[in-house]
Amino acid sequence: MNRNRRRVVITGMGAITPLGHSVASVYEAQINGRSGVDRIRNFDACKFPTTFAAEVKDFDLGRFLPDAERYRHCGVNTLFALASAKQALDDAKAMSGIDRTRFGIYLGNGEGQNDFFHLIPAIAAAAPAGAREIEPSAFFERSARDFGKERESELEMHTTAGHLAERFELLGPNFSCLTACAASSQGIGEAAELIRVGDADAMLAGGAHSMIHPFGVTGFNRLTALSTRNEAPQKASRPFDMDRDGFVLGEGSGMLVLEELEHAKRRGATIYAELTGYGSTADAYRTTDSPPDGHGAIAAIKWALGDAGLAPTDIHYINAHGTSTEVNDRVETLAIKQTLGDYAYKVPVSSNKSMMGHLIAAAGVTELIISIMVIRRGVIPPTINYQTPDPSCDLDYVPNTARERRVDHVLSNSFGFGGQNVSLIVSRYS
Amino acid sequence: MANSRRTVITGCGALTPIGNDAASIWDSLSAGKSGVQTISAFDVSRLPCRVAGEIRDFVARKHLDNKNEHEKSMGKSLKLMARTIQLGLIAAKFAMKDAGLERGKYDSTRFGIVFGASLISIEVNDIVDASRAAMENSDGGKVDMVGWGAKGIETIEPTWMLKFLPNMAACHISVLYDLQGPSNSITEDDVASLNALGEAHRHIGRGQADAFLVGGADNKISHLSLARHTLFLPFSKRNDDPAGACRPFDRDRDGTVLGEGATVLVVEELEHAKKRGANIVAEVVGFASAFDAKRDGSGLVRAIRAALKEAGIGPEDLDHVNAHGLGAKAQDAWEASALQAAVGNVPVLATKGYTGNLGPAAGVTELGFSLLAMRNGVLPPTINHQATDPDCRLVVHAKGLRPITKAYFLKVGFTGMGQSAAVVVKKC
Repeated sequence: MNRNRRRVVITGMGAITPLGHSVASVYEAQINGRSGVDRIRNFDACKFPTTFAAEVKDFDLGRFLPDAERYRHCGVNTLFALASAKQALDDAKAMSGIDRTRFGIYLGNGEGQNDFFHLIPAIAAAAPAGAREIEPSAFFERSARDFGKERESELEMHTTAGHLAERFELLGPNFSCLTACAASSQGIGEAAELIRVGDADAMLAGGAHSMIHPFGVTGFNRLTALSTRNEAPQKASRPFDMDRDGFVLGEGSGMLVLEELEHAKRRGATIYAELTGYGSTADAYRTTDSPPDGHGAIAAIKWALGDAGLAPTDIHYINAHGTSTEVNDRVETLAIKQTLGDYAYKVPVSSNKSMMGHLIAAAGVTELIISIMVIRRGVIPPTINYQTPDPSCDLDYVPNTARERRVDHVLSNSFGFGGQNVSLIVSRYS
Repeated sequence: MANSRRTVITGCGALTPIGNDAASIWDSLSAGKSGVQTISAFDVSRLPCRVAGEIRDFVARKHLDNKNEHEKSMGKSLKLMARTIQLGLIAAKFAMKDAGLERGKYDSTRFGIVFGASLISIEVNDIVDASRAAMENSDGGKVDMVGWGAKGIETIEPTWMLKFLPNMAACHISVLYDLQGPSNSITEDDVASLNALGEAHRHIGRGQADAFLVGGADNKISHLSLARHTLFLPFSKRNDDPAGACRPFDRDRDGTVLGEGATVLVVEELEHAKKRGANIVAEVVGFASAFDAKRDGSGLVRAIRAALKEAGIGPEDLDHVNAHGLGAKAQDAWEASALQAAVGNVPVLATKGYTGNLGPAAGVTELGFSLLAMRNGVLPPTINHQATDPDCRLVVHAKGLRPITKAYFLKVGFTGMGQSAAVVVKKC
């Protein structure tokens, strides 16, 4: 470990997920192999190629913030983020005395959701039968009448980090990124680097996303990226299994309070774990598929190990990206073997997505939170729905049943659409 | 904070409403000639603000060379890209050429990309058939989800979603140039590309990469985007005077206008640049990001002071400030009080009158204008600044060409919510 630089520890966590609205509930569901997947309820998807997802259930911001009304026009990702941020900051305790100008925020945050139910009628009304294009004036008349001013302004991508910074008085560096499935992992890594270099002493890092809306499901279905196992939704997310047929959409948010070690010790903070490694690379290959040789993923894993000063054999658990797509699971397996050598066969690898689906921008942070709980509790969540091994995926995926094991270092992978690869290593604090 | 690894700018490529190459851009700036015109892309007669900085006659394909196998292949991918992304791609090509960098002649694993982006609205004409399918059996004007699911979805292009993802500019550019280093897409709207530059600067400083493409691209001149932004942006209503519509810090300013464009900078670690004989244009010597919770300028002041401190200079060393200068009543006043407090009477250049607000592309594009000024030895005027506003007590450089007298300039930007960024640049 590079002991000469400032060390970054995690002193607070919060999560809003399809498996529960707290860190404790999502971890408990994960080690008990419970799926959060069900028929989509927030809109009528009965005729979509995919009719199911892992939705956050019964979410009410009012349970977290007394003045939730203030945020009624915000996108659902902002609402999730406000709740998980509140949890994380409460969890971190006694942060009121710290210098807020040195407390920033870095989110890997998804876009808000278009006003589908007003947009579609506006388009149809502005395009007379047979026309290939809308008549602009007719469209602008409808939009001026039907779209909501506040709702539309809250769709803009900087608003989530803006609301959180304002609400929780985070006056330091303020960043948002959206590198697809790697986004919140990237946010955490870059936030840690801002602390290491001294631009901040603490950072709220994480993300929020929901693509479980008509455009999101439509878009992924057109790309044939989603599982279409409509007759058995809870069995659809089956990472590394021979019969996997695509990923399952999830939604939600996770937040961490990252803090410089001495700063955390001085205020007597509880230290959950240490962020020890971060690697970020690009495949430079294609817009959606990973390269068959996994070179970008391999480089990210190696980089993270080097950053942490760890050998492959120091990793006791790999929290996989494990999306349940044919390509990712195969290429990620290859990348793990190329970087860990024979040891790859001895380390447990599991995918949280088997139970909570793919939270896209919020996947990285929520999976890192589960990884931290694994270090603290010593129980590794399984990959559920694992029935038939795939010869090209031949590692130990902790099939179906959780496993007790002391874990000191976790490698967590997030390999995003568009070829961005992020690997994080989180370690037991010592 | 001393660091032995220094960040230099070795190339720039830009597509803007005032030109697509250094010579044309400089011609416009030095003549005080605005690129804001009545929107021509489609019929905007129903919109309250009908002017913007457009890039007329942009055809991405024309800029790709079919004899180059990678560019030829990228030509086939153009249909996967919204206009915003195409602008970013071509600006990247211009930048690489300007920097004298050729694919295969650098270590790909140490060359990354950090791009400023924001929400890219979908093109409504792409879903006309699907929308009609969802409305033909509509009950009282409501969307028929059975119609959308059963008939509408299949009328949509399979690759539709890829057109609008904000990280696709970085993705396609990294594919074109084999950039395998760190890749990030900063989605912080008006400060996105300044934050991107700051992040690349920090990456280089810690030794994980030697070069980055840093850019930003934006086009909000589409049906859905204008429909949405019309509802909440503080737009100017000077439709009969497009060139005079955006009036930063002017007493009679009445709002902002939009523009489209993209700029990409090549930034490199100094020794890496020297070793390959690069033309070193300028150095990034300070960066800071902060949040202005009270929206009174205090966050921007903190960012400016931190950036100056990193640069090891004071306001007296600055030739000018390249301001955000949105042209909107409240935001300009907020910014003016910050600049007054942080840098006093340093002359201010604000260029949105020339181009409109380029959103995530604004930061690096406007920084690029200051780089041109430094190169040509004179500061162009802030156009449309005719009457001083007592709420904006700044020294705005508004007439003619003023000699550049010092080596440093400060570039700032901020969002309406308070995300603020400051970059200090030194001419080399």
